[in-house]
Amino acid sequence: MSSDMDCNEAVEALHEFLRQECTPELAQQIKQHLEDCRPCLGHAQFEKSYLAMLESMAGTQGCPDSVRSQILDALRKAAEPPPSGD
Amino acid sequence: MKAPPESTASFEAEALPHLDTLYRVALRFAGDHARAEDLVQDTMLKAFRAWKTYTQGTNARAWLLTILRNTFINEYRKESRQPTAVALDAVDPLAIYRAVGHTDPEGRFFDRIIDDRVWAAIDALPEDFREVIVLSDVEGMAYGDIARMVGVPLGTVKSRLFRARRQLQGALYEHAVEMGYIRAQEAR
Repeated sequence: MSSDMDCNEAVEALHEFLRQECTPELAQQIKQHLEDCRPCLGHAQFEKSYLAMLESMAGTQGCPDSVRSQILDALRKAAEPPPSGD
Repeated sequence: MKAPPESTASFEAEALPHLDTLYRVALRFAGDHARAEDLVQDTMLKAFRAWKTYTQGTNARAWLLTILRNTFINEYRKESRQPTAVALDAVDPLAIYRAVGHTDPEGRFFDRIIDDRVWAAIDALPEDFREVIVLSDVEGMAYGDIARMVGVPLGTVKSRLFRARRQLQGALYEHAVEMGYIRAQEAR
């Protein structure tokens, strides 16, 4: 038990840790806490499942092809020189 | 003024790969497909006209999303900003995990919920929460980029995300119980 982090602190920083958004020092503290604390390790697994599920949602929806080609047309039109009277 | 062809090509090369992200985020902001289509198209045209202000090699996706967000706020949002719901603030951060901990400690129930229900739960979040959840947890944007885009301090992004995830997990948990994916705990 070398970790001086308590469970509440660990849980609050769990997402930051899983998203690799925390400082190396904090990451080390959380890692240590998770090694020492089974309930928090379980909680980390739970949050990992949540994050993986939400990340996978990106693959379920995208820009429809019709909208994509509409946008391409609009862009090409915007890039054309305006009709001049010459 | 005609944009030089090389700028058209570089815009298309850098911006078009982000159309799926732009469309998903537009759908969360705008609420329906028709408005999302208009919002994405307006965003792309604005971005194209402003392309020379974009610094090559920086984060094109964050740049485009910022234009999309500003366009939505300035031109699409009908109602004034809704206050963020804080109803769940009193809930213990461990509550959801504790509620499922015995029956589904690894959170497998998340994967059983159908996509449409997950999107519906995200769309039901208050706007401030929905925005950070989508940018961070669905699109994988870094917290710092979200803070710059939304115009709030990093700490605000973190605390919003913390509360938003709790609220979303709570909604998904209730749905999972309703559908029988997990058993409700008597002691919640």
